[in-house]
Amino acid sequence: MKSNSSIELSPRQTTLEGLSPRIVPSLRIVGAAALAIGCALGLARQDGMQLFLRAYLTSYCYVIGLVLGSLLLVPLLHVSRAGWGVVVRRLAEILADHVPLMFILFLPIVLPLLWGNSSLYEWADRQAVEHDELLHHKAPYLNPAFFAIRALSYFAVWWLVARFFVDRSLEQDASGDPKLTVRMERASGPAILLLGLTVTFASFDWLMSLDPRWTSTIYGIYFYSGAVVAAVALWILAAMILQAGGWLKDVITVEHYHDLGKLLFACVVFWGYIAFSQYLLIWYANIPEETVWYRDRQTGPWLYVSLALVVGHLVMPFLGLLSREMKRNKAILGFWAAWLLVFHWIDVSWLTMPNLKREGFPVGPVELCLTASLVCFYLASVLRQAMDRPLAPVRDPRLAESLAFENF
Amino acid sequence: MSEQRASNDNAEAGTRIAGLVAEFPGPEALLAAAAKVRDAGYRHWDSHSPFPIHGMERAMGIRPTILPWLVLAAGGAGAAGALLLQWWTNAVDYPYLVSGKPLFSFPANIPIIFELMVLLSAFAAFGGVLALNLLPEYRHPVFSVKRFARATSDGFFISIAADDPRFDVDATRLLLESANAAAVEVCYAPAETPRFPALLKWTLAVVGLLALLPPLWIARQRQVPSDTPRLHIIQDMDFQPRYQSQGVGPFFADRRATRPPVPNAVEVGGLQTDAHFFRGQIDGQWATTLPIAVDRERMERGRERYNIYCAPCHGLAGEGDGMTHQRAVKRREPGWAQPRSLHVRNVREQPVGRLFHTITHGLNTMPGYAAQIPVADRWAIVLYVRALQRSQHAALDDVPAELRPGLLQEPSRP
Repeated sequence: MKSNSSIELSPRQTTLEGLSPRIVPSLRIVGAAALAIGCALGLARQDGMQLFLRAYLTSYCYVIGLVLGSLLLVPLLHVSRAGWGVVVRRLAEILADHVPLMFILFLPIVLPLLWGNSSLYEWADRQAVEHDELLHHKAPYLNPAFFAIRALSYFAVWWLVARFFVDRSLEQDASGDPKLTVRMERASGPAILLLGLTVTFASFDWLMSLDPRWTSTIYGIYFYSGAVVAAVALWILAAMILQAGGWLKDVITVEHYHDLGKLLFACVVFWGYIAFSQYLLIWYANIPEETVWYRDRQTGPWLYVSLALVVGHLVMPFLGLLSREMKRNKAILGFWAAWLLVFHWIDVSWLTMPNLKREGFPVGPVELCLTASLVCFYLASVLRQAMDRPLAPVRDPRLAESLAFENF
Repeated sequence: MSEQRASNDNAEAGTRIAGLVAEFPGPEALLAAAAKVRDAGYRHWDSHSPFPIHGMERAMGIRPTILPWLVLAAGGAGAAGALLLQWWTNAVDYPYLVSGKPLFSFPANIPIIFELMVLLSAFAAFGGVLALNLLPEYRHPVFSVKRFARATSDGFFISIAADDPRFDVDATRLLLESANAAAVEVCYAPAETPRFPALLKWTLAVVGLLALLPPLWIARQRQVPSDTPRLHIIQDMDFQPRYQSQGVGPFFADRRATRPPVPNAVEVGGLQTDAHFFRGQIDGQWATTLPIAVDRERMERGRERYNIYCAPCHGLAGEGDGMTHQRAVKRREPGWAQPRSLHVRNVREQPVGRLFHTITHGLNTMPGYAAQIPVADRWAIVLYVRALQRSQHAALDDVPAELRPGLLQEPSRP
């Protein structure tokens, strides 16, 4: 490790100066407007509450996937002691550090449940549970109060993980103390374990229990692997957009994009591997209470969505990201990143919508409005945070190594 | 002067000049020298350093490797081969129907496709790296230069082979020296290409031939009929040092391996004195009454057991048309006899004891169910069979009085 005093990144490169601070409130206004339109469109329908809540859950799980995926990337860089990733680590931190916002946005899901509204989850309907042996059996776990307690504990864990890594990292910006890096490396293994467990159970609670009679133990990692794909894609786009605006110009090079591309490729393949593992076991065993979940996704319009996921979320990006040259080409890499952000949204709505919306076009205006709204709130929070901290860990002891990084 | 040095270097007899090896003080100098050699148009040359140096590919003018394409082709071949193999073996060469599942179904083949794709990709990458680097090589001339050993610790070298079209000992040496080489040495190879040692060659040939013997012997054994039992390679505890029951053993005077039970011994739970309950007989005659209480609970139990054990052949209504029969008819099983209908006269007229006996011991092709169905359950089945028979041959008197008028009405014309 060379002494890092010789490395000075110019403030013009690493602070979001020059960006109008008015962009944050404007994003929030757009988000609120989209939320209002989404509410109006959703609640105007006959089954309003049901459709609205389901669409909201879709949008929410999409956005929290971006947050949790980014939150995993930070300890992932530490645990692998990744020299290349130092220059882009702060971007992942900025994309991840929004647990309080996600908690507030979670209230529309949990509050109706606690008030006794069962439009979203069948297991919250006392009458239905009374007359269904299986739901009755699961009631000690699947009930509104315990659901809320669990959710609270997930948010607590995520908030603690985010605080630990972001605060240490910002502390290092001021002190440049290499011991902080060691502390973060030590904590990263347990943090990954905690994230894996909490996200698994959160996806069981929030998504899998939409089909309360169906279970799949691989479900958690299916959701999380997709979320990490989207998070890496967003990470790549964030770096590209900042560079296009003149920030981080000499900090992130094609070598870093190459490695980000490898990570995106690996995550896409991993997602495909997990998705197929779940499908093969259920398809082969052919047990009705298991296959019913895929039946919902292979009938009506959802058949085409399923096929689109196979092609658009796995085959095409696999071939498109396979070659070194494509990963090193900013336009191609950026295209696949944007593409996968869209397909992760389709993936999430493929998880949430099929047993509610069995006919017609699978994507509706309510989901789109609500997603636009939540994404605006998220981006506003991201930008507000990006404005008051450096865009790269400016005094990380391995900054020099990362800046000079080259792929062999 | 250089001429003299070359002739001095070439003092060893029986060798030829294989090339030049130049040492450089550090990675920067090596990089600069490599660019110079590249610009001079040399082709058969290489640089050697203890660690990879960024930019060396560009400095040496090395084109991107074709290895990824080899790996891609091998991976594609593996995937296609796996698909073809599974399709041919399962759907063409040896079609075997399992529970009506399709002979060939794509998702089931994906794991093998994936594995073989990865396997062949890895082979191609491993073999490709060796082949593209011209490895393994029996002996390389650069090792005749002593100082070259430091290429793996702290030395930076460029070697230029003598078979390069532009190679000329003096001109090439000048080029390397002008590129700031710290030292330039000639490396030698034996004048004749070194022979593969004869002893090794013959040993390998003999071992190779010997290795062919076991598979040949196995192939022969598979073709030739034999009286001796099969070779039992995997023992699985098939041959244990113990005596079989009813076998011969040396321990007792009568040479029986096991002792017969003591006369009049009865196993626990085997004292079946109630002939009515256990054998369906009263005083040697088939019982006509049931030894169990007749109530709804027994009837439900009997129906449940009947539907599990009997209905597959006799059918849910006892018509002798169960799923097994339907499937046998569909498949045109040779020699298939239809299971007896329970509603024919002689079955209806059989005493219940006789029905119990049939369930216990079987009849014709029907096996006995004593091992599967406990005694009380067999009687419950008899009870249910009686109910089934009555359902098909009911008289008006069997219907409760208040329901009879509905039955007697003429059906209305549609």
